[in-house]
Formats: sequence, structure tokens, C-alpha cells
Amino acid sequence: MVDPASGPFLFDTSAESWLARTKHSEVLNWVRAYLSCHPLHVSAVTVLERSRGYSLLWRRAHEERRDRIESARVAYLSALGQVWPLDGAVAVVAGEIMSLLPDPPTPPRRSHQFVESRQERLARWRFDEMIAATALVARMPLIHNNPADFEAVRSAIERSPGRFPRLGPLELVRCASLA
Amino acid sequence: MGPARSLLKAKKQRTTLTLPSDSLTKAKSIARARRVNLSTVISEALSEGLKAHAATERSEEVLALYQKAFSGFTDDELSLLDGIVLEPAARR
Repeated sequence: MVDPASGPFLFDTSAESWLARTKHSEVLNWVRAYLSCHPLHVSAVTVLERSRGYSLLWRRAHEERRDRIESARVAYLSALGQVWPLDGAVAVVAGEIMSLLPDPPTPPRRSHQFVESRQERLARWRFDEMIAATALVARMPLIHNNPADFEAVRSAIERSPGRFPRLGPLELVRCASLA
Repeated sequence: MGPARSLLKAKKQRTTLTLPSDSLTKAKSIARARRVNLSTVISEALSEGLKAHAATERSEEVLALYQKAFSGFTDDELSLLDGIVLEPAARR
């Protein structure tokens, strides 16, 4: 159990949507308590991934569904709290992480007859590295739902503390352990 | 400006309230200890309570917006919203 008042925390892209969709009453109460103390902090990279997702869905949708998708996108943008920019400090730290871990630690995603291309997987891995860098620079624990990828980043940072002066360790909190 | 001073400057209105005796006793004791009047202590407590109420309302509003942002989508569509772009395997 993580005290919601002990935030703020940075929320990874999949953590943000997982928390919004959860049906577990304890987790929902945790989100309520968190939101009454702090805004939801996300990286600009999360907003980028989400905006691209809504836009791709809108383009692929039939005319009659487009209004529903647009209304979901507007709801998302209206709910946004604190968005952390990809500034110089984040870029420097993200570059260090990318040089330590150039390749994604897990394979591309598959779902039924669908598959993620290697190019898309690499792009998503780089986005995760930028989000981890943002958490490190903002000195906030990162709430995530993706242990395989973020644990790899945390370990790499721990093995090379000299490359991250006055930063770290990267503190990770899994969504499932929040409430 | 401290809370007590900002309350002094705020527009005031006289009213009559019925309060629980134990809360009133505690409020009087705080007022004596801080050397301010009872109205100040009760106004500050009311102000804090109203702030907490506003924060709860905002939290419900934000949660409702987030829930709307991610409802009515299939699992594959939700993956896309999370930044995972999947294509038909046969196309590759």
C-alpha cells in the first residue's frame, strides 16, 4: 500500500489508462485519494503516445464512431494535470539511458492476428526510456505497469551511477501494489 | 498573509449555528491557547473543510473524465491508446 498523500508520482502511459479503467474498489479509492491531494503527473511523451493513439483510431474509424473517439480524446486532454516537458535535462539523461540500453528488453507485442513491428517496438522502448528519464530528473517515483522494461532501466542506472550524478535511484512502483 | 489575517479582511456575516458540544469545547480551548476569538477558529476550520470538499469534487471530476477517455474501446484499441501500434501479421 502506497500512501496517496506521499506523492506526487509520475504515471507511465499504460499505468495512467490502467488506473482509469480499474474496477477494483480499493484501487479506485486510492486514485480518488491521490487526485484530491495531487494532480496526475505525466511526461509529454505520454501525451504524445496518447494523442497519436486517438488520432490513429479516429482515422481508422467509420464516420459514425468518430465523434465518440473525439469526445474521449477531449475528455483525456481536459483531465490532464501536470505535464512534464522533454527539456534539456531530460534529454541528457534519456540519451545516457539509451546508450546503456539500446535495444528493448522484451520482444514486440502480439495479439491474435496482430503484431507490433520491430520499428514500432524500438520507438516505444525509446519513449519508455524518456519517461524513466523524466521521473529521474523530476525526482518522482514512477508508477508503471511494465516491470520487464522499467526494471531493466532501473538496474542499468544502478550499475552506472557515475553517468547520473546527483540523480537516482529510479524509484519504481507497480500499479498492482498501490492499494 | 496568514489564514487568521485573511479571515479578518474577508467580508463577514453574523449567523447562528448549532454545533456539537465537544467540537465547541475543543474550538474554545484552541481559541484560548492561540489568543484569538472563537469565530476565527471556527472560520478557519470551516475554510479547511470547504477546501477539502472542493478537492474531493475536483478529484471526482478528473476521475470521471479519465474514465470517459478510456471507456468503450476494445483491448486492441486500448493498446493503441497506450502507444502500442499493432498491424495485421499477414501484411508484414
